[in-house]
Parts: sequence; C-alpha cells; structure tokens
Amino acid sequence: MNEWLWTGAAMVGLLVPCALLAMRGAIVDRLLGFELGSAITSLALVVLAEGFDRSVYFDLALVFTAMQYGATLMIVRFLERGVTP
Amino acid sequence: MTGKQLLIAVLLGAAALIQFLCVLGVWLMPHVYDRLHFLTPATSVAPWLVAGAVWTREAMAHQGIVALLVAVFMLVFQPVLTHATIRAARAHQLGDWRPRPGETVHRRSPA
Repeated sequence: MNEWLWTGAAMVGLLVPCALLAMRGAIVDRLLGFELGSAITSLALVVLAEGFDRSVYFDLALVFTAMQYGATLMIVRFLERGVTP
Repeated sequence: MTGKQLLIAVLLGAAALIQFLCVLGVWLMPHVYDRLHFLTPATSVAPWLVAGAVWTREAMAHQGIVALLVAVFMLVFQPVLTHATIRAARAHQLGDWRPRPGETVHRRSPA
C-alpha cells in the first residue's frame, strides 16, 4: 500500500456516510448526499488509478465526472419541476 | 522519503481531509442551504490538490493532463450544479424558486 492507495481507500470510506445521506431525510438532502458522493468518487477514481499505476483508469474518472454532472443536472431539473420518485 | 514523495503525501492528505470535513459539514448542518456550502471545497479545492499530486509525479503525461481536466471540469461546472440545486430546493419548498411578492433578498439594517 502506497500513499495513493491509502488516500483512495479513505475516499472510498467517505462514500459510506454519503450513501447514508442519500438514503434518508428529505429528497433535497438525499440529492446533496448523491452530489457529494459523486464528487468524492471522481477524485477516488483519479487517486486509485495513480495508485494502481494504470493510466487507462484516468479516462474512467474523466468520463464519470462528465456523466455524473449530466445525471445530477437531470435529477435536479426533475426535482425543480415537481417530479419526485 | 524524498521531497517529492513528501509533497505528494501532503497534497493527498489535504485533499482527503477537505473531503472528510465536507462530509462532516453536510452531516451536521441543519438546513439544506447551509449544507450546500460544504459541497464547494470538495469540488473546487480538493480536485486541485489531487491534480497537483498527480502532476508532481507525472507532470505532462496522460495521467497529469486528465487529472487537470477533471479538476477544471469540476471547478467550472459544479457552481452551475449548486445553483440549480438551490433553485430546485427552493422550488420544492415553496412551489416556485422566484422571489415571492414582498420578499426581499437583503434585510434592511435597523435605523
């Protein structure tokens, strides 16, 4: 284990409280848990890609970052229009 | 441990610490508008620390450029997402995000 993998493990660990946030409370609070978890996941993918020394995994982080932005924006727009699950 | 390794460890540690504090803030703040403030450091400071750590090791390689792109993407687009989230929260709460009649943004200071 090097410093990259330790940091990646810490970031993955931080996804647990984000997941709990995303599963409880009002729908806007759950959305915040999802947004924070997405941001942490993006950085965890970067750090783990460097830790495993696999440059191709960096592309996954970039694509995930772009797609989570679109997905979150779509959820937010639905929420604004009053469409809730 | 070389100076470069020490710098990487400090940058990564700072990024993880910032994210931890953001999670803590989102957990502990009482209201959604307070909680939203804690998304900002996780999306506009921590990515640059991680990109700095990657650049310290890889510089102008594929890894460094992509890490920089991730940081730039999050810095540019996360404020848009935060604004949209605030709008959605207000619309969800009040039915419409626009100011209601008689509602003022700034409170007048007492005379």
